[in-house]
Amino acid sequence: MTELRPHFHEELAQLESDLVLMGEQASQMIADALGALVRSDAEAARAVIDHDDVVDDLYLAVHERWLATMALQTPVAIDLRLMSVILHVNSHLERIADLAVTIAKITELSQGLPHDPTVMSHLQEMGDIVSTMVRTVMEAFTNRDLDTALSLPEMDRPVNRLNRKMVRKVVKLAEETDLLEWGVRMTVVSRTLERAGDNAVDIAEQTAFLLTGEFREFTDASHHD
Amino acid sequence: MGNQVAEAPRLAGSDATDVASVPMTVTVSDRSEPVADNPAIFEVDRLNVHYGDFHAVKDVSLGIRKNEITALIGPSGCGKSTVLRCFNRMNDLIEIARVSGSIQYHGVDLYGPEVDPVQVRRHIGMVFQKPNPFPKSIYDNVAFGPKIAGFEGSMDDLVEEALTKAALWDEVKDKLEGSAYALSGGQQQRLCIARAIATSPDVVLMDEPASALDPIATLRIEDLMQGLKEDYSIVIVTHNMQQAARVSDRTAFFTVDMEQTGQRTGVLVEFDETSKIFTNPGEKRTEDYITGRFG
Amino acid sequence: MATRTEAVNTAAIVRQSLQGRRFSLGGVAFEAGLLLMLLVSLAILVTLLADIITGALPVFRDRGLDFVTSGITLDSATAGVWTALLGSVGISVIVAIVAFPLGLGAAVYLEEYAPDNAFTRFIQTNIRNLAGVPSIVYGLLGLAVFVRMVDLIGLGGSDSTGGRNIIAAGITLAVLVLPIVIITASEALRAVPDTIREAGLGVGATRWEVVRHHVLPSAAPGVLTGTVLALARAFGETAPLLVIGVATGFFSAGSAGVFDRLTGTYTALPVVVLSWSRQADPAFKENLAPAAILVLLVVLFAANTAAVILRNKYDRKW
Repeated sequence: MTELRPHFHEELAQLESDLVLMGEQASQMIADALGALVRSDAEAARAVIDHDDVVDDLYLAVHERWLATMALQTPVAIDLRLMSVILHVNSHLERIADLAVTIAKITELSQGLPHDPTVMSHLQEMGDIVSTMVRTVMEAFTNRDLDTALSLPEMDRPVNRLNRKMVRKVVKLAEETDLLEWGVRMTVVSRTLERAGDNAVDIAEQTAFLLTGEFREFTDASHHD
Repeated sequence: MGNQVAEAPRLAGSDATDVASVPMTVTVSDRSEPVADNPAIFEVDRLNVHYGDFHAVKDVSLGIRKNEITALIGPSGCGKSTVLRCFNRMNDLIEIARVSGSIQYHGVDLYGPEVDPVQVRRHIGMVFQKPNPFPKSIYDNVAFGPKIAGFEGSMDDLVEEALTKAALWDEVKDKLEGSAYALSGGQQQRLCIARAIATSPDVVLMDEPASALDPIATLRIEDLMQGLKEDYSIVIVTHNMQQAARVSDRTAFFTVDMEQTGQRTGVLVEFDETSKIFTNPGEKRTEDYITGRFG
Repeated sequence: MATRTEAVNTAAIVRQSLQGRRFSLGGVAFEAGLLLMLLVSLAILVTLLADIITGALPVFRDRGLDFVTSGITLDSATAGVWTALLGSVGISVIVAIVAFPLGLGAAVYLEEYAPDNAFTRFIQTNIRNLAGVPSIVYGLLGLAVFVRMVDLIGLGGSDSTGGRNIIAAGITLAVLVLPIVIITASEALRAVPDTIREAGLGVGATRWEVVRHHVLPSAAPGVLTGTVLALARAFGETAPLLVIGVATGFFSAGSAGVFDRLTGTYTALPVVVLSWSRQADPAFKENLAPAAILVLLVVLFAANTAAVILRNKYDRKW
C-alpha cells in the first residue's frame, strides 16, 4: 500500500511524541516532588514548580496542533479515536504535572516543621508507584499494549489503600505529638498522589478505548475496591 | 407492477400534519436515529452482475430500509453504480448485462418475468450525476413523467408540489415556461429531483448527485435529502466519504476484489449504521479506505 | 537588504526572458499559404458566378420574369424555363414524400432500436457505400425497375412515355438521396446526448416515448437540414434523368391537367441547361443556358435559406 496522507500521519506522530515528552516530564516531576518533600528541600521543590511551565507549554502546543489537525484532516474511525484519546491524555498529563506542583508547594510551606518517618516512607512509596504508573501507562499507549494498560488499576490499589489509611494515621499522630499541622498537610499530599494515580488509570482507560473501540471505566469514584 | 392495477400517481406525504400543532420536545441530536425496525424495501440476495465475460459485481446481499438514506461508497470500479442501477433495472439497457441473484422490492422479485421495467422506473426514480433536464420548459420537465403515466388530475398542482418538495418552487414559480437550461447547475439538479419525484415513486436512487456541483449547491442538495427522507427512501452512490457521513443513516462499503483471473470484481465488504462505520468499522478494509490508508 | 536586491535581480531576469517575440518564418508562411488556398477557391467560385451572371444578364434585362414563366420553344427570344421548373419542383416533391419518411424511419431504427452487432454495422457501412455510388447507376436502376413499375400500376402516362415520367424520376432520385437522408438523420439523432434518453427512461418512459417526445424534437433541426441538403442534391441531378428518359428537346405540355403532367413527358431544369448549352444557336448557349443556371441557383439558394430559417426556428436555444 502506498502511503497516502503522509502529512496527516506526520501530524499524528508529532502529537504522540509531544505527549510522550509530557509523560516523561510529569513522571519525573512526581518523583522530584516527593524527593524534595522527603528531604525537606525547598530549592528542589521550587525547581519542580518552575518546571511546570515546560509542561504547560507542551500542553498548549498539543492543543493547538490538535485543533488544526481536526479541522483540516477530518479524521474518522481509528484516527478519530486516536484524536479523542490524545485530547484526553493531554489533559490528564497536564493535571498530573499540576498535582506534582501542589506537592512541591506543600514542601515549601512545611519548611521547618517536624515530621514522622513512617508517614514519610509511606508517601515515598506512594510517590514511587505513581511515578512508575505514569511511565508505564505512557509506554502502553505508545506501544498500543492493551494488556499493560489493563494492569494499571492493579498498580493503583496500594496507592488507594495507603491513602485511606493516611487520615487515621495522622489523627493518631496528632493525638500523641505536635505534628498536627504537618500531618494535615501530609494528608493533602496523600490525596494529591491518589488523584495523580487516578489520572494515570484514566490514561489507561483511554488507551483501552483506542485499541478496542469501546469505552469502559476501570475505576469508578462511586465504587470502592 | 405485475398484477397490481396501475393507479393515478399521487404525491406521497400530501397529508402531512401541520407542523405548528406538533408539541415541542427536547431532542438530543439533530439527526433522527434510524429506527431499528424500519421495514425493508429492498432485499438483495447474492446479487451478481456480469457484463459479457466481465464479472462486475459479486454476491452482494443487503437490505434497504424504508425512509432511510443508504449510502454506497467505495473506490472507483467497485460496482456501486452498477448495484444502484440494478434497483431500477437501468442495467437492462446495456445489452451484455446479465443480472443473477435476487432483488425483492416490497416482496416482489424485481427481475421476475411478469415485471415491466418501465413500470419499475415509475416507482423507483433516479437522479443522475450530471444534471440532465430535458431540453424543454421547467414545467414540461416535471410534467412529462406523470403525463405519460396517465395522470389525469391537476397537473399544475402536481408540478407545484414536486417543485416545492425539491426546494425549487420559489425560485422558478414565475418562469415555469422558461427553459430548464437557463437554470444554474444546482437548480437544474433540484429540477431533476422534482422530475424524479413527480411520478410519486417511493424510492429515489441518486448516482453521485452532487459531484458536478459547487459546495454550496451540494449542501443544499444534502439538506433537501434530509427532508425527502420523510416521504421517500433514498439510496445514494457517492465518491465523497464526508458526504456519506453527513447524510446517510446506513452505509455500504464496496471494494474491488482481484480474483484469480485478475478481473476487478466489486464486492460488498461491510454494511452498517453510518455512525458505526465512521467511528469503529468492523472490517479492516473499511477502515483503511475511510481513513485514507487505502493505496 | 539582500532580499530586495535579490528581488530586483529576479525581476530583471524574468523581464528579459519574457521579452522578444520569436519570429517563426514557418508559421507565417503556413498561415499565408492557407489564406492563399482560401482566396483561390473563392476566386474560382467568383469567376464562375461572374461568368454566369454576365451571360444571363441580357436575358433578364430584356425579358425580365417572362423568362421564368415561358415554356420551352425553339426560338431563343421566347424560350423560358417554366416547364422545366415545374418538372424539377414536381420531382422534388416526390423525392421529399418518398425519401423523408423512409430515410428518417430507417435512421431512427438504426440509431434507437437496432442492437449493436456486426449485422447492424454491416448495414451502416453499406448505406455509406450507397451514398457514393455514381448517380448514373441509379438511373439504370430507375430505368429497369421504377419506370416499368410505374407503368404497370397504371401511372404510365397517356402518351407513349411508358412510365418515363416525373413519378418514376422522383422515385429514382429519392432512392439516390435516401442514403444521404439516412446518414444525416442518423448523425442528428446520434448528436442527441444519451443523458437525455437516460433521463426519459428513468422517469418510466418507453423507448418509443423517449424517441417521440425527446429525441426527435431535439434532432429535428439536424434532420431538416439533412433533408434539404438531399433535396438540393436531387434538384441538380441530370445523369439519372437522362437515362430514365427525360425530354431534352422541345415539347409542350399544353393544357394538360395535373395527372397528365405527372404521368406524361416532363423535363427538368438541369436537363434544359444541358440541352441549351448544346444548341447551335449561340443565344441559347451563351445567354439562355446561363440564365437557366441562374434560376437553378436562385432556387437552391432559396431552399438553403429556408432550411436555415426553419432550423433556427426549431432549434430554440434551450
